[in-house]
Amino acid sequence: MKKAYWIFAVFAVAFLGDRIGGFVLSKITKESQFRYSRLYGSSEGADVLFVGNSRGLSFYQPYCEEKTGLTTANLSYNGMPIDLAVPLVMDYLDRHQPPKVLVMDISLLDSVRMDNKLVFQFNHYSPNSERLSHLLKADFPNDYYAGRLSHLYRHNSEVFQRTFFYWKKSDKDWLLDRVISASMVDDVDTQKALRFHYSPKMLEKLDEMVKYAQQKGTRVELLVNPYFPAFVTKIENMDSLKIDVSKATGISVRDFSNAVQETEAFGDYQHVNKVGAMRYIDRLIAEGVLK
Amino acid sequence: MIFNSLTFLAFIAIFLPLYFALKGKARLLLSLTASYIFYGWWDWRFLSLIAISTLVDYYLGLSMERENEEKGRRKLLIISMVLNLGFLGFFKYFNFFTDSFVSMLQGFGMNPSVHTLKIILPVGISFYTFQSMSYTIDVYRKHIQAEKSLLRFSTFVAFWPQLVAGPIVRAADFLPQFQKDHDFNWDRIVSGTGRILWGFFKKCVVADSLAPFVDQIFAEPNGFASVNLLIGVIFYSFQIYCDFSGYSDIAIGFARILGYDFNENFRKPYFSQNFSEFWSRWHISLSSWLRDYLYIPLGGNRAGKLATYKNNMLTMLLGGLWHGANWTFVFWGFLHGMYLIGQRQLGKPFGSMMNGLRFPKGLKIGVNIALTYFFTCLAWVFFRSPNFATAMDVITGIADLEGFGFVNVMNKFTVMKGVLLIGILLVIEVSDLRMRWNSLAFRNPLFRIAAYAVLLLLIAFFGSFGSGAFIYFQF
Repeated sequence: MKKAYWIFAVFAVAFLGDRIGGFVLSKITKESQFRYSRLYGSSEGADVLFVGNSRGLSFYQPYCEEKTGLTTANLSYNGMPIDLAVPLVMDYLDRHQPPKVLVMDISLLDSVRMDNKLVFQFNHYSPNSERLSHLLKADFPNDYYAGRLSHLYRHNSEVFQRTFFYWKKSDKDWLLDRVISASMVDDVDTQKALRFHYSPKMLEKLDEMVKYAQQKGTRVELLVNPYFPAFVTKIENMDSLKIDVSKATGISVRDFSNAVQETEAFGDYQHVNKVGAMRYIDRLIAEGVLK
Repeated sequence: MIFNSLTFLAFIAIFLPLYFALKGKARLLLSLTASYIFYGWWDWRFLSLIAISTLVDYYLGLSMERENEEKGRRKLLIISMVLNLGFLGFFKYFNFFTDSFVSMLQGFGMNPSVHTLKIILPVGISFYTFQSMSYTIDVYRKHIQAEKSLLRFSTFVAFWPQLVAGPIVRAADFLPQFQKDHDFNWDRIVSGTGRILWGFFKKCVVADSLAPFVDQIFAEPNGFASVNLLIGVIFYSFQIYCDFSGYSDIAIGFARILGYDFNENFRKPYFSQNFSEFWSRWHISLSSWLRDYLYIPLGGNRAGKLATYKNNMLTMLLGGLWHGANWTFVFWGFLHGMYLIGQRQLGKPFGSMMNGLRFPKGLKIGVNIALTYFFTCLAWVFFRSPNFATAMDVITGIADLEGFGFVNVMNKFTVMKGVLLIGILLVIEVSDLRMRWNSLAFRNPLFRIAAYAVLLLLIAFFGSFGSGAFIYFQF
């Protein structure tokens, strides 16, 4: 039986290593300059709060701050689903001085292109948020419990990789900075139509978030961010999405899908690059969204 | 049932104590029952295929041994081949050949009305069919004696660790191991556990982390910049290696714990300096099967240059077809056939040219490894692509170099993680050539504890646990 001890030793060493590793990684998470680390780790508020999926990254913060003099925070993330955006925004509103304006791109109301699995990638932030923890436990119970069992597993995600990447540097200039390729421009007509797949439940959640922000005295702006001009015609149900969102929230949606026209201002069909982001911010200022 | 599932964890927690508590026939019966549960968990209906194949080959083996006439023996062998290849042909290739036949007729201007059947491909059918066939061929050749015990033979065919994705074990190697009970042995537990952990590291950490990027690239390669297509192909080469060799490691590890020894199935194949070496390091159980039961009976390399080339090509084409019912697999085999022929033709002049260049030995080896890897990856593009159009999109997309820069790399964090994990894998594999990690772990308990714990931590921190099945299940 003596020979069996090494198995217990392996588990003991692994457990100890897991706890030490988890402790170090959670320190990094706390100290990181990444947007969600600042959401949960800092009490410093901002005047403008942006929310969206990868298209929400076109709210280019350095340029916006320079042009408006307002401070900004952005909770956007690639593939962000509304289920995740709502608790993050609510947590922000609870933990910080409410912003003057909450600006949200409504293209995250899409159950097909948005990634609901993103929720478990926020596992390492779950100890900081009851809302996140609750969502994780409800939607991904295995990951929730695995994260409690192994603290390293809790940090096993791309979101943590970004948390680590922005440990010592600001993430405010996170943006898709490339120019759309010539072949993509040529192929735009052959692209499949884009359709938003949204449900009444998703609209309810959005409304819940909007009302929560308004109760805190925050103005809410719901927008459609720019698409590559020739791609806009590929979107089948943009108008019905805007109407349904307006009905659900009582806020009329501002459509900027055609706000940027130059080919060089896009990284691909659905994302502006830095040039496009700056044009877009100028337009938001001119239209009074950012004031 | 797959190894990387909670169901399997429960399965093994019940099976192992029972296995070591029982002896003799009871243990064999448990192993057989567990193997059938393991397989039936996926679809119990296909257990009948294994059972029929087992029964027929068992009785044919016995009859063959009793039969003294060569003609009679040959007849029994043909029955076995027809049955085994008939099952394989029907379940795996029926629709493929029907579709190909229809396409051919359409090429001649005809428009036949042919209906294909909705056939589900039984998991692992290629593996257990080859295993069972090797038995009857070996009995026919009188290399082994027919197995007298149906229980032993059934367990040999269906043994759960390697049933669905190999390694393909030979009756001559494996059946004798069922002759005696294997006692519980701590040394085997130690080394088997290490092998299993290493297999899970390869599968859950490396292969499954690379899979999403690769899937995206091969789903619609046209939208991606050149650099991303190249990364996709390189990632795939490591994904398939880690996925498949990871499965073999886990199978070998569990078998070792149970007291059985399987032959190695992979020996660091991407360090091969030419293609004959590659095939002695990649999926060894299949390549040696094809060598012994196809290439050598065809004449091997004994009948002149042209015949050797023909045998090489035929073996590789069938090897390609074995993987799947698609012309892309056949073409993958064709490419490897061409590589082997090209190596025979150009190997010497190329070697002389390299010698003439007076490169240091290490550089020469590096060039050979890089060239072999490059051509292997080229063939992988066809292997992975659902059709030729996709494969050509990937290859031409890489070649046109549009968007070949770091700025165009998509999903940078996924790519960075992939590169890091491939780096860890290569460091461990390269250092293993000198350090022999497994024997070191075996000799030094402290090192073993640390190494196994580190593997567990790496799996927890980097592992992907949602992607499910192993690639080779479909074959």
